[in-house]
Amino acid sequence: MPSSLGLIRWSTRLIGRSESTGAPLTARVAALALLVALGTATAGAQSNRPSTTVSQPTGAASGLATLRSPPVLENVSGDPRTVEVRLTAAPTRLSLLPGTTTDVYAYNGRVPGPTLELREGDHVIVHFRNELPVPTTIHWHGLHIPAASDGSPFHPVGPGEQHDYVFTILRGSAGTYWYHPHPHHQTGYQVAKGLYGAIVISAADDPLSASLPEKLLILSDNRVLADGSIDLPDESSLQGGVDAENGREGDLLFVNGQSNATLTIRSGEVQRWRVINASAARVFRLAVTGHTFVHVGSDGGLFERPVEVSEIVLANGERAELLVRGTGPPGSRSMLQTLPYDRYIPQTRPRDWKQARDLMVVQYTPDAPVPLAAVPNVLRRVPALDTLAASATRVIALSQGLINGKMMDMSRVDVSARLGATEIWQVENLVGMDHPFHLHGFQFQVIDRNGVPEPVRRWKDTVNVPKHETVRFIVRYDDYPGKWMFHCHILAHEDHGMMGVLEIR
Amino acid sequence: MTRSCGGSCRYAGALVSILAVVGCSRPSAMTASSRVDIPAGRGADPTDVGAQDMRARVLRGRALVLDHACSACHSGVLDPAGQGFLAGMRTTEEEFTIDGFKTRPRNLTPDNETGIGRFSERQIFNAMRFGLRPGETADVEITSTTPGQGNFPARPKYLAPPMPWIAWRHMSDQDLWDIAAYLKHAVKPVKNKVADSDGPPDFWASYYATRIGPRPALQYPTANEVGGTAPNEQVLRGRALVIEHACGDCHNGRDNPAAGDWLVGALTPTDTFQLGPFTIRPRNLTPDDETGLGRFSERQIFNALRFGLSPRETPDAEVTATVPGKGNHPAQPRYLAPSMPWVAWRHMTDQQLRDIAAYLKRGLKPVKNKVPESDRPPDFWVSGFTVDKIGPYPASPFPTANEKVP
Repeated sequence: MPSSLGLIRWSTRLIGRSESTGAPLTARVAALALLVALGTATAGAQSNRPSTTVSQPTGAASGLATLRSPPVLENVSGDPRTVEVRLTAAPTRLSLLPGTTTDVYAYNGRVPGPTLELREGDHVIVHFRNELPVPTTIHWHGLHIPAASDGSPFHPVGPGEQHDYVFTILRGSAGTYWYHPHPHHQTGYQVAKGLYGAIVISAADDPLSASLPEKLLILSDNRVLADGSIDLPDESSLQGGVDAENGREGDLLFVNGQSNATLTIRSGEVQRWRVINASAARVFRLAVTGHTFVHVGSDGGLFERPVEVSEIVLANGERAELLVRGTGPPGSRSMLQTLPYDRYIPQTRPRDWKQARDLMVVQYTPDAPVPLAAVPNVLRRVPALDTLAASATRVIALSQGLINGKMMDMSRVDVSARLGATEIWQVENLVGMDHPFHLHGFQFQVIDRNGVPEPVRRWKDTVNVPKHETVRFIVRYDDYPGKWMFHCHILAHEDHGMMGVLEIR
Repeated sequence: MTRSCGGSCRYAGALVSILAVVGCSRPSAMTASSRVDIPAGRGADPTDVGAQDMRARVLRGRALVLDHACSACHSGVLDPAGQGFLAGMRTTEEEFTIDGFKTRPRNLTPDNETGIGRFSERQIFNAMRFGLRPGETADVEITSTTPGQGNFPARPKYLAPPMPWIAWRHMSDQDLWDIAAYLKHAVKPVKNKVADSDGPPDFWASYYATRIGPRPALQYPTANEVGGTAPNEQVLRGRALVIEHACGDCHNGRDNPAAGDWLVGALTPTDTFQLGPFTIRPRNLTPDDETGLGRFSERQIFNALRFGLSPRETPDAEVTATVPGKGNHPAQPRYLAPSMPWVAWRHMTDQQLRDIAAYLKRGLKPVKNKVPESDRPPDFWVSGFTVDKIGPYPASPFPTANEKVP
């Protein structure tokens, strides 16, 4: 085909080249001016301003601390079917990294916040107090609960105010969830300042042996300036612009707020990991060197059957339940890593995106191996939502910062549906950057991606829609009417207005 | 020659011209005088098929696409019957390198996944009028060019250069809507995934900051133009065509008739193109007798635009054939150097080409600027301009196998 154009194409290409290499004088001057303007911009975009930020402890410093789980929120209720907890968001000063202190926002004084442990059937009361200088909410990400308790931007809690979040955990919803603020335009800021925590819901009939040690892994990242303060650049700055585009990624990677901590495992032991991607924008592509994962659960709990995989891509907001089998010899050491994942547009792709990053050391104890525990073939039933029952298909076009070409408007309803209806959502990503799509209030099942049927039926509340791809999912609006949000879970995009309102009536 | 060149314009210009090289221009199916701006604002929805005859619109849009040579970059196929017409680049040889960034001509067919099928006509309109990337700009009517106002994005994300939207934006609303209609409704979708262009994190905002001139262009006559009597309608039409076909991107002055170097040709070695071993120098288009077009007739200028025939080496005669040796087409034609996009310009109507010649000859003041001869191969580019390489004139009739009747 190019031959048909021959000379023309050839000339075009050559001119293109001469353009870039620049001939003398005017063009070169212009080019230089541009490079000064853009070149530095590029450099800035592609590093994380190493001169001013604190860098990740690596090498000898790694693996010194043992991985800790956040404490569990204390249940103050006397009723065995009720969980009653107190949660306070307040500014405080913590040491996010050894040797520095940082002004943060924290739930009950901790980053991450304490873990909310629940069982299916529990009646939950969260006495929340906002001691922040700004309005906030708590969104119970993934929970199927009444809209008024969802912590959406429709229900802000002002500074100094208290609010009780009250809801019931329905049967079948055992799984790994998380909570974080959701005030309009401020979610990214408040999460960056330290507000996020885990929710673990257990089932009485959990098919996985209670003897499997459970580990909670809350993944996050952040950027900290040399003075210890959290790096939140103005949006008019270059880094601010890059953050607005990519979402705010940090060069510091944390598991449970710890950097390169050590998790111990005994040879032959099978551990159940509950992994939450609580970062504002980073997609983790997780792998443990020398190991595979048995993937058993997603956002809304366990699958029907386990799936063995070598790695798991976890977009922000998503969760995974994994079995990690201690197949290494006693005393050996492996590494939980996040592998390169290109979710970016070329303009703002970080320079070091191709580097695998260490998250956590997996250290085998010297103890003699124990026999490897068996993993059940069947976990639980995940009933399929019937596509024939779908009464509508909602086409949701994602572009940079926009949904169906619109910015979020609190006074607008973008999708309106009947309580109990089953619908298909066709989420099309129009642009060259991944967008993790989150629907509040209702777990859904992915039907297909670009027309290719999803191999494993699973409950999801957040699904990554890779660049230029289309994901279809099916959802039934059970139980709870009201206004629900749907949005890109890159927090900068959500805050920009890449969000819509679903009203169930 | 006392004018100074606004250096950066050339820098940007050359890129555009490149595109232009193969083509920008104006609809042959309609005359310039038939262009009508849709009243700004609500009410008339130009994408409403009921509002106008869709077939007429896509034919006008097609003519504009052809004589603006969209396909020269966006596939390298000039003939609408050629395979891959408008379907975007296929090989990395078709990439541009701008400031070290690779930019890639996209698939303009309406394929949902890899082309522009998912974008609305309004988004395509906004791309051509404002240079805004369709996937990253709200699908809304834009009524301002000030960031943050009138739906113009606070952080605009521009199409990567060398997409010549700075010239394209001077087309009428109706022209741009018709191009969008043609691309969306009369081109068959082709799957061809083109990688995203690279670029700076500000999406070229700083690149365009100094390159976007006024629209509409300053009123005739500027200091470069012949004033005095009431402006000649033909000259005004020709002027509009010159501006929106990016003549100034190579011949200097970009899209601004008030620029000090408006159409004076190459001023410095930077203003040249390198085609293999040959250096091409954009000529002085002002009507200076000695150094410009003054000594050529309007018919010779017409023949240059329609047939690519060098005015200096072609008799001043009416040419009636595209084949050498017939109908006054020289048996041994001397063609303009290939950066000159006459292979696209030739698809303009006779009237439009005459209008351009009238503007250059009668609307511009002469400026002395002697541009050295371009280098060229012994055959005067004849081997480069065969029908198999540049497609037929007139263009293959609508619809070709790549097209459909809406």
